[in-house]
Amino acid sequence: MTAKRRIAITGLGLVTPVGNDVATTWTALLAGKSGGAAISLFDASGFPVRIASEVKRFDAAAAVDDRKLLKFANRSHGFALAAAEQALVDAGIRPTSTDAERWGCAVGTGMMGVDFAELVAVHRHSAPDGELDATRLLDDASANNPLVFCRSQSTTGLSLLTRRHDIRGYATSVHTACASGGQAIGTALKLIRRGSVDYALAGGFDSMISPVGIAGFCLLSALSVDNDTPERASRPFDITRNGFLLGEGAGFLVLEEWESARQRGAHVYAELAGDGNSLSSYRITDSPPDGDGPIQSMRQALADAGASIGDVDYINAHGTSTFMNDRSESAAIHAVFGARVRDVAVSSTKSSMGHLIAAAGAVEVAICALAIRHGELPVNANLREQDPECDLALVRDKPQQRRVRVALSNSFGFGGSNSCVALRRPEDVDGIGFQR
Amino acid sequence: MDKRRVVITGIGAVCAAGRDPQAILEAVCAGRSSIGPIRQWDVAHWPMQAAGEISDLNPRDMVEDRKLHKLIRRTDLFGLYAAARAIDASAMVAYRATLASDAAAAYSDRTGVYVGSGGGNYESQYDYFPLLTTANEELPAFGRELSSTVNPMWLLRTLPNNVLGHIGIRHGFKGANACITNHSIGGTLAVIEATEALRTGEADRALAVGHDAPIEPQMVLYYHDVGLLSKDTIRPFDARRDGSLFGEGAAAFALETEDSALSRAAPILGEVLGGASATDAQGLLAIRDDGDALARAMESALTDAGIRASDVGMIAAHGNGTPQSDASEAAAIRRVFGDNAPPATAFKWAFGHLIAGAGIIEAVLALESLRRRIVPGTATFAVADPVCAGVKVSAEPQLPRSDVVMVLCRGFAGTNAALLLRAAA
Repeated sequence: MTAKRRIAITGLGLVTPVGNDVATTWTALLAGKSGGAAISLFDASGFPVRIASEVKRFDAAAAVDDRKLLKFANRSHGFALAAAEQALVDAGIRPTSTDAERWGCAVGTGMMGVDFAELVAVHRHSAPDGELDATRLLDDASANNPLVFCRSQSTTGLSLLTRRHDIRGYATSVHTACASGGQAIGTALKLIRRGSVDYALAGGFDSMISPVGIAGFCLLSALSVDNDTPERASRPFDITRNGFLLGEGAGFLVLEEWESARQRGAHVYAELAGDGNSLSSYRITDSPPDGDGPIQSMRQALADAGASIGDVDYINAHGTSTFMNDRSESAAIHAVFGARVRDVAVSSTKSSMGHLIAAAGAVEVAICALAIRHGELPVNANLREQDPECDLALVRDKPQQRRVRVALSNSFGFGGSNSCVALRRPEDVDGIGFQR
Repeated sequence: MDKRRVVITGIGAVCAAGRDPQAILEAVCAGRSSIGPIRQWDVAHWPMQAAGEISDLNPRDMVEDRKLHKLIRRTDLFGLYAAARAIDASAMVAYRATLASDAAAAYSDRTGVYVGSGGGNYESQYDYFPLLTTANEELPAFGRELSSTVNPMWLLRTLPNNVLGHIGIRHGFKGANACITNHSIGGTLAVIEATEALRTGEADRALAVGHDAPIEPQMVLYYHDVGLLSKDTIRPFDARRDGSLFGEGAAAFALETEDSALSRAAPILGEVLGGASATDAQGLLAIRDDGDALARAMESALTDAGIRASDVGMIAAHGNGTPQSDASEAAAIRRVFGDNAPPATAFKWAFGHLIAGAGIIEAVLALESLRRRIVPGTATFAVADPVCAGVKVSAEPQLPRSDVVMVLCRGFAGTNAALLLRAAA
């Protein structure tokens, strides 16, 4: 049997609520700085939840020098284009006319829909009484605007990314709710491993901080209602946690076949070593109390990476700060690691950034790569009294210096899809660190 | 290392032409189109009125569980139905019931689910229209009145991955999975990714499903406005073709490693030989005249399957009936097959374009056709178009040259996929 092709992570790009680039985000995560604040994107004064973790002072035109392309982009696509640009610059490699066919793209895309202003415009013209009058729709400006159409398709983001960067190989969009980003990274791993492509731009993007997005989560009572203390609203594994803090943003990685990355002298953050995914098949929103489902995805990721539980130094938890998720995830980590659970450091960076939904998994894989690169673990912010049912070795109060051999990134979605991505320190692959 | 062989042990399909693959294929072979006037809303004043709607839809006939209907949309109904039919046909769940509990649990953990989903629609957001009216479009009132006006399950009903999650819950599958929201090639990619999961040992059996229900006013209007819709009929590769038309529905394959199927003496309908995908990278709606990425996907699929173009006995073309796509598809077929392409058919004329379900329902029908040793006629084809030369499409049925079919599929964002299936003897 021939050995599996290895995959190197050679570029990172982040647009998050705590920083519009990798360095700013990383510094904020180490400090446990919160992105939570009163919602500024719309008037949320009447909503039960009036807080969110917004990307701040983002200027798409400054980040992406292509005004024509940006006409086809909504807010989340702007994040995606900016983060992808950063990742490619960081990697120092781009598709060229000779190898564009060997580049793939896998993205975790949020739910499709039109911007709220467009929904209101259609309402005003074609549904003033609350029901759509299809005949009125025929001369509705919004429903006849091709730009609105192009911005609202499920593959809009994918089309903008592949066009801008001339990616001509296997290109795909996936959506498994909050696991989307992790599944996109896992998809890209498989594409390179099986030889469909040699390079991949992989990531996730989302922005649900809109009246309809916030409404959807409010109706499910999934969000923290700590409107007076937004910076403390996300507190995964704390006994007082009461829901998640909705975030937005994008995370992208440049992935390359390991040997060719080494040959060109690329800096390598980590090996993208393994992917596991499973279905809980329990309930659509609920997490199984015993961790069934996440247990299998973690075990598969380790097996796929050729790693054992003794190799794992860090888990970036899904850790949403909902009562159920954090207990279920803790149970799963206990089941997988057994007595070794005391030795594995865990933090949920959603404590700082909030929950980036379809972008979360990709952003958090990037954070695991940074933890390996810097030998430092971001803090699980806002932890005052740890839930005794979440008995994990959480990184609390301050960041932890630690050599990370293997890191795991967990993502679990509504619908029961569980994703776990395993990363390995490059020194442990071939003795070479981030830079030669 | 030899790849593990992936066999097909069950199929299911639903669309305007019928509720199982056999009935749909019989309608196709009889030259009967199921495309007609849209009935879901009043199209009296609409310039475009045709689609392949599933009529007389009683949701309970599709999914028995009444409680579930509050949690899913029309498109999910089709996906869950087709999936259940494929599972029943394969008897893979019935077989699990014969296993001891530990073995049954392991069996479920080793059963994957791969779904191609449309990714969402416009109508879901209309659920907020009554609230916008009540609130007079003012946000503070919108926020205050929210919970008294909108279904608390709104977000769940809207999830693009509902079919994946509910197949898992209903049938107890817990293995590797994906929900692919890649427009028209989503269903085809579900088959390709499920096949890869079986080849590499991520799972021992998997369900691949594609489903969509794109027939809604705002979607029809946009497609019309950008020039993609026909006035009345899909005429693949015909000189008179003037666009495509929506259909709706779903299809599914039950796939297993050969070992898994043999060990339980399952009926083997065929084999997935391979597949591939490539992109043209020119934007959401742009199409390259030379069909470059489609040709590359076809070539890569042949390589993946380890066969030559001359081994292919039938082409199930994408043939969506738009002037530009069909011409560029023909260019790709000429590039790969020269002037010696096998007989081709294009199914969309009979029941419309299922978008995320298109590639997979056409793959199911292509397999069923090969099992009957027929390349069904494309009934609306009459006038050959010189720019589509090389595509051996005919209004009359043809004989396949072998037991292998290449199924082609194309979507927005310049995405293309090719899938190779072999029918069992």
